[in-house]
Amino acid sequence: MTMSETLTPARRAEARRLRASFVKLLAARLFQALVVALIVGIVGFAMMQALPGDAAYRIAAGRYGYDVVDAAAAEAMRLQLGLDRPALEMLMVWIGQALTFDLGHSFVTGAPVVDEILHQLGHSVGLAFISILVALALAVPVGTLAGLRPGSLFDRISGGAALVLRATPAFLIGILLILFIAVELRLTPASGHGHGTHFVLPALTLGLVLGSVLSRVVRNAVAEAVASEPFRFARQKGLSLPAALRRHAFRNAAVPVITYLGVQTALLLEGVVVVESVFSWPGIGHALTHAVFERDIPMVQGTALVLGLGFVVLSFVVDISCRMLDPRLAQ
Amino acid sequence: MSLEVSDFTVAAGTTRLLGPLDVTVEPGEPLCILGETGAGKSLLAQAIMGTLPAGLSASGRIVLGRTRLDDLPVKKREALWGRRIAILPQEPWRALDPLMRGNEQVAESHAIVAGRSWEDAHCRAEADLTGLGLPVASHDAYPGVLSGGMAQRVAFAAATAAGATTLLADEPTKGLDDARRDDVVRLLRDVARQGGILLCITHDVAVARALGGRVKILRHGDVVESGSSETVLTAPQSAYGKALVEADPVNWPAVEGMSGESPILVAEDLAIARGGRTLVEGIDLSLGSGGRLAIAGPSGLGKSTLLDTFAGLIPPASGRVERHGSARRPLALQKLYQDPPSAFASRVSLKAGFDDLLRRHRISRETIDGLIERLGLSPALLERRPTAVSGGELQRLALARVLALNPSIILADEPTSRLDPVTQRSVMEVIGEIHREADTAVVLVTHNLTLAKRWAGTVVDLQGFAKQEATH
Repeated sequence: MTMSETLTPARRAEARRLRASFVKLLAARLFQALVVALIVGIVGFAMMQALPGDAAYRIAAGRYGYDVVDAAAAEAMRLQLGLDRPALEMLMVWIGQALTFDLGHSFVTGAPVVDEILHQLGHSVGLAFISILVALALAVPVGTLAGLRPGSLFDRISGGAALVLRATPAFLIGILLILFIAVELRLTPASGHGHGTHFVLPALTLGLVLGSVLSRVVRNAVAEAVASEPFRFARQKGLSLPAALRRHAFRNAAVPVITYLGVQTALLLEGVVVVESVFSWPGIGHALTHAVFERDIPMVQGTALVLGLGFVVLSFVVDISCRMLDPRLAQ
Repeated sequence: MSLEVSDFTVAAGTTRLLGPLDVTVEPGEPLCILGETGAGKSLLAQAIMGTLPAGLSASGRIVLGRTRLDDLPVKKREALWGRRIAILPQEPWRALDPLMRGNEQVAESHAIVAGRSWEDAHCRAEADLTGLGLPVASHDAYPGVLSGGMAQRVAFAAATAAGATTLLADEPTKGLDDARRDDVVRLLRDVARQGGILLCITHDVAVARALGGRVKILRHGDVVESGSSETVLTAPQSAYGKALVEADPVNWPAVEGMSGESPILVAEDLAIARGGRTLVEGIDLSLGSGGRLAIAGPSGLGKSTLLDTFAGLIPPASGRVERHGSARRPLALQKLYQDPPSAFASRVSLKAGFDDLLRRHRISRETIDGLIERLGLSPALLERRPTAVSGGELQRLALARVLALNPSIILADEPTSRLDPVTQRSVMEVIGEIHREADTAVVLVTHNLTLAKRWAGTVVDLQGFAKQEATH
């Protein structure tokens, strides 16, 4: 199209405003990242210190197993890792290292924390990604159909189903899926990972949980968009229902849906410990729990830091996507 | 080809809302349906489009050319939209998709509705908008930055792009100032001139007058008067027709400038800004006690901001606002708001609100009851909630509430723009009488220049003070 190639002054001003808003947003999020990192580091550290019990003993147990650990082994561990230093000093050392992007080594495995986290985060991100796809595949058609006819039988049934799914604990959904799909029908492995089919059950569990509420978010957004004056006008100027939906409803409805997905993705990455445990999925939530049990302070600190920063990055991505969809937000 | 609606009735259950009604619109001769809000005017447009709300039933015949519309199946009726019948929405800045550029919204009608290639559609959209006098720089703007008149033109182009020659315009000038209203009227007149069928639904007598053609006046769903616009609007026969025509500000008795006695509100070289952007500058004015001053100008120019500056709620961007004499007292400035229902707490009875006022300011009940009666209302009205009282009554109550505080100046921010014309006239009359009795000065802000001139005599047209924007 020739018209759009020659930029009008208004368009250029528009692009300028959009860029300025991006830069401002980026600066704000960078500052936020710094604050989050500091708070996560300090609070996480304080909480680890506040846990009862002898950390050195637990670390030694994590390394060698509970059976072989005695007071002497714990003492050796304490000396080796410098756990007898004052807490403040240990915190300062950690912050100093973190500033040079060095997260230290795991107390338990001795491997660099960064490697461990990247490994587990990779599993979590993979699972989260597929779960979101499942959730979208469920929620968008169901929510759209319900939103087109609010109050209809379909709307009420899908709303009830979403409520039941949401009210069922995720681990219960997981176990029911294992019983039915893996044990009864023998279609997929019950747990573990490594093969593509291992994704099916955990992704389906998380997808169902996420998709249940998401379908209602989509439904509300679609219902609102369809009842709006722009949509009515689009229909009355002659666009068919599918064309009007495509051009004047989905984009307008996408902003609340993306915002909700952003928040949920963050929860998916860190809050699905239970589901990861049910399916023995080696994700980051799983890893964090173990690190807490084993008092693996560098792992706990590093994981919390990465998750906290992940939250900031996600918010940034959500903000940018929403501004691309709705230029008015960039004002 | 003509549009014929015959023996037509709309009812909700057993309650008749509109009709029986016979309407014929010939190509080239516009028909205006005039009437107050709630007279069922919009139902006619909805019935012709086939979009009557669920729960309403219609009977009678609607025929366009040789097609009978009212018994067509839904799909076939929808197939006429944009291709044969177009509707021009109320408040187009709300009907255009805020997330799509204006020219794209026109182009999609050409491409999707009329089935032209996208390339052709884009070219035609540009040509349409240029033809309607929209500056090229605004073609690809988002609707949010267009003025009301510009948005109306984009909506017009989008609605008619697929070749509809029958246009239904439902309150197309709602919320527009005089100049923009005239723009829209010109647009509509051109439709008729080119042989289109135009049905315009409005409460604004000035629109009907400017369009010419034929007029029907509707009240409570009944046609009380019909004929050529010249006859009906110059010599109406029915009582309601007379009231409606008299309510047109053009027909209000003119007043001489009433600048009042000794100055109590003075502005010198005043400039106001919103969000760091200067809106108007270089304003000098003076209002004396008991005087009237009108400030007119299109929406978005900072009229309300100016009032807030007078009230001392916002500091001026530069220049000075001074109050003298009695206007220096606390509570000496009181405000009347545009939308009466939102100026009252909606969930409690009016009495509860008034009682609080009496207690807080130690006003006797006799005073307030006397005021309410003076304004032509019964104090018994206070037992109701704001939602159970009409807009005109509510605005009078708001006036009583303000007068109880014995103000020196009333700042009235579009006090009648949400009221229908007959009510508008009576409310403005009562404000006129009472402020003289109470020796209170009034600053009236309105987008209606005629009303401003007729009511106040002295008008400050803000457009003359608008900051000239540097064009880049």
